[in-house]
Amino acid sequence: MEAVVRLERITKAYRGVPALKNVDFELRKGEIHALLGENGAGKSTLTKIIAGAVEATSGTMYRNGRPVSYKSPNEALKAGIAMVFQETSLVPSMTVAQNLYLGSERFLNRLRGITISAQQFLQSLNFPVDPTAVVETLGAAKRQMVEIARAVHHNAEVIIFDEPTAALTPEEKRHFFALMRRLKAGGVSIVFISHALEEALLISDRITVLRDGELVSTGETAGYDRDAIIAAMVGRKLSAELYRRRGSGQVRQPGRKVLSVQDISMGKIVRNNSFSVFEGQITGVFGLNGSGRTETFKIVSGIYKRDFLRGGAIELNDRPVRYLVPREAVKDGIVYVTEDRKTEGIFETMSIAENLFAGLLAGGHGRNWIVGMRQMQAFARNWIDRLAIRAINDNARVVELSGGNQQKVVIGKGLVEQPRIVIFDEPTRGVDVGAIAEIHQIINRLADEGLAVVVISSYLPEVMNLSDRILVCRQGRIVEEFSPAGATEEKIMYAAVH
Amino acid sequence: MIFDPLLDLFRGKAVTIPPMDGAFRPNTQIDDAPLAGRLAAPDNLVELDGRLLASSGNAVVSIAMHGGPQTVSTFDAPVTALAVSPDGELAVALETGRLYLDGRELELPSALACITAIAFAPDSSLYAANGSAERRPREWAADLMLKGESGSLWARAPWSGVWREIASGLAFPFGIFLDGAGAVVSESWRHRLVRIESSGGRSTILDRLPGYPSRLSPASGGGAWLSLFAPRNRLVEFVLQEDAYRADMLAEVPPDCWIAPALSSRRSFLEPLQCGAIKTMGVHKPWSPTRSYGMVVRLDRGMRPLYSLHSRADGTRHGICSVLEHGGRLVAASKGGDCLVAIDLATAGGVN
Repeated sequence: MEAVVRLERITKAYRGVPALKNVDFELRKGEIHALLGENGAGKSTLTKIIAGAVEATSGTMYRNGRPVSYKSPNEALKAGIAMVFQETSLVPSMTVAQNLYLGSERFLNRLRGITISAQQFLQSLNFPVDPTAVVETLGAAKRQMVEIARAVHHNAEVIIFDEPTAALTPEEKRHFFALMRRLKAGGVSIVFISHALEEALLISDRITVLRDGELVSTGETAGYDRDAIIAAMVGRKLSAELYRRRGSGQVRQPGRKVLSVQDISMGKIVRNNSFSVFEGQITGVFGLNGSGRTETFKIVSGIYKRDFLRGGAIELNDRPVRYLVPREAVKDGIVYVTEDRKTEGIFETMSIAENLFAGLLAGGHGRNWIVGMRQMQAFARNWIDRLAIRAINDNARVVELSGGNQQKVVIGKGLVEQPRIVIFDEPTRGVDVGAIAEIHQIINRLADEGLAVVVISSYLPEVMNLSDRILVCRQGRIVEEFSPAGATEEKIMYAAVH
Repeated sequence: MIFDPLLDLFRGKAVTIPPMDGAFRPNTQIDDAPLAGRLAAPDNLVELDGRLLASSGNAVVSIAMHGGPQTVSTFDAPVTALAVSPDGELAVALETGRLYLDGRELELPSALACITAIAFAPDSSLYAANGSAERRPREWAADLMLKGESGSLWARAPWSGVWREIASGLAFPFGIFLDGAGAVVSESWRHRLVRIESSGGRSTILDRLPGYPSRLSPASGGGAWLSLFAPRNRLVEFVLQEDAYRADMLAEVPPDCWIAPALSSRRSFLEPLQCGAIKTMGVHKPWSPTRSYGMVVRLDRGMRPLYSLHSRADGTRHGICSVLEHGGRLVAASKGGDCLVAIDLATAGGVN
């Protein structure tokens, strides 16, 4: 069968660190091709190269047999390649209809006409989305639907879906799969990235597995089963240990209740959320994007403020608290390690030592007005050793570090404040496999030392492997609690979406 | 924040419900437990000569684990509390404010007319919880809605038969547990357990319960079992803040349809919170807001909660008013579910 897209020996390196190494990939006309691999395996990078969002360092891409190199997603779109990104790329302040027609507007546009045509189009896809709704008011699942609709709307020949089903309910997934089959029947070629292996086995014609930026296996779906895919994905022993299920004997027993959150509310995002956090335990929090888990813990750590009226109560060691600024929470021993390290977690152009010392200043622990460089570096050296941060030297700028080491700096910035409660939000997002294991070790060590640890993650195996208790967040509140022994991926996901 | 007390004047003090986690983590153990018998609105459980007795309406019945209930005695009013003395005498309290000991009616002070729980001390002193000075036991929902706090604890000296009020101003005392240090009383409307000494001194020993506590019974290995007959609910807490609305509701709405805790729910389409019982794809969500719930809590010697057993919003064995260890199992009386269930003690705390 003819290949609509073919990649030959594609390599992509970020600051010398290869994300993809000599990968060959072929997408045939009218096929659904599942692209599988662990986080950081290079799936998104590969698809972004196809869609023109990222340029390959070396290698050649062929479109219908002709070598091409797209400089922008718009260029790729014009060539018939559309991508639905994991993080939605919709304009939040515009309506659904406006977003659908963004980039394909005429000189004069009639808003009513656009809305009617968007309504018809969404209905034809079986997506229950109001075309007049402003995108920022939509939940994660509906945004994902609009994103998918936009890709289909461009009549692309090649559509790339990056984790399209993560935010969808089983019912919506069925509609989505029916849509994919319809597109396939119409000759559209689809690249489908998913962490749910059953979905890949169910819907795809061929499967390609990447591991640590390299092509591990590719072939017809009929030749694969779940075990074969996992073996290809995980490969190394390290990875097998990373996401091992925990037995009941390995679960830490709860210590003293340090944090009690009762009925806190913040607009429509956090709604009457109640839970407790205990010392000496890792409390895992799972929820889909938009479920309010990050916002809840940002309220706890003083970054956001709960509703002024009927906003609920937060008790720290049985004492009611309401923080105006994060500094007050830090002084009380609450540290929030952000999910967005680039904008909230680090000063990219400053050194590791300066970043770590900035963390100390944030808690008000640095009493001296003038600090000697030697003193600062000695302090940083200690933490660099403890967290095994790997860099050319202590003065290396954080921007020059790998994702995993950047994340360790962010964690270190929090830990220098000697917290009693540490909240990790997506601690291993965008982190390579080796660093994931090290970060998990750090988190486990903190709980063993008696700290109250919260891990927010949208990656189920991580939550199940790390947590001593698992809380599931849905529509702004904790709806279910599981013990690691009693939890299964299905049960957790069911609680998260239903 | 130092301005919080001042700001609370404007925004109102936060009324919050403690989360059901830690020792109160939900499970389905009460719903999963085998049925010990069907009985209409079983209320109080006691053990007499190795037999399990339960109050049900106007009767006291004997429950055999593998047979139907047998009526032991009937009265002219609903039975509201049972207790067995160290000498094996059965004490029975009635809705009408009367109290029988081994068939003999005891003389009661006029203020003791709403007996919700009774218990004997080792010296045969009889303790009685008087739920309210103004209402009868079956009017408990009205007492909550009117924020009653006229309950009291009484003790009867065994030799003289004289009753003495030990404590007053209690918000619907609904359970008594006597240990060496005094009487532990569950105060339903204040969601707490208080220790009341014979001198009248009192101290809170367990506060901020997520439901309304009812009767207590001793647990093997020390400590006690506490049953909670209904959950706390945000809507009810809100209604309790709205005085005018509550007054209108009490005056105009039938009691079954009040926005108030209930022993069972989802039996009538007229009752409130139907929309709170969230259903998706035909499945009733166990975490959905509910007026009724089933919960039993195991307390240690210091009356701290160890673990709990639940019948959640999607369950039916709600309104647990009494539990008792009997024959190696924990028997729970589900007044809202019209049944008795037997929970295996060996596995009871396993899932927490």
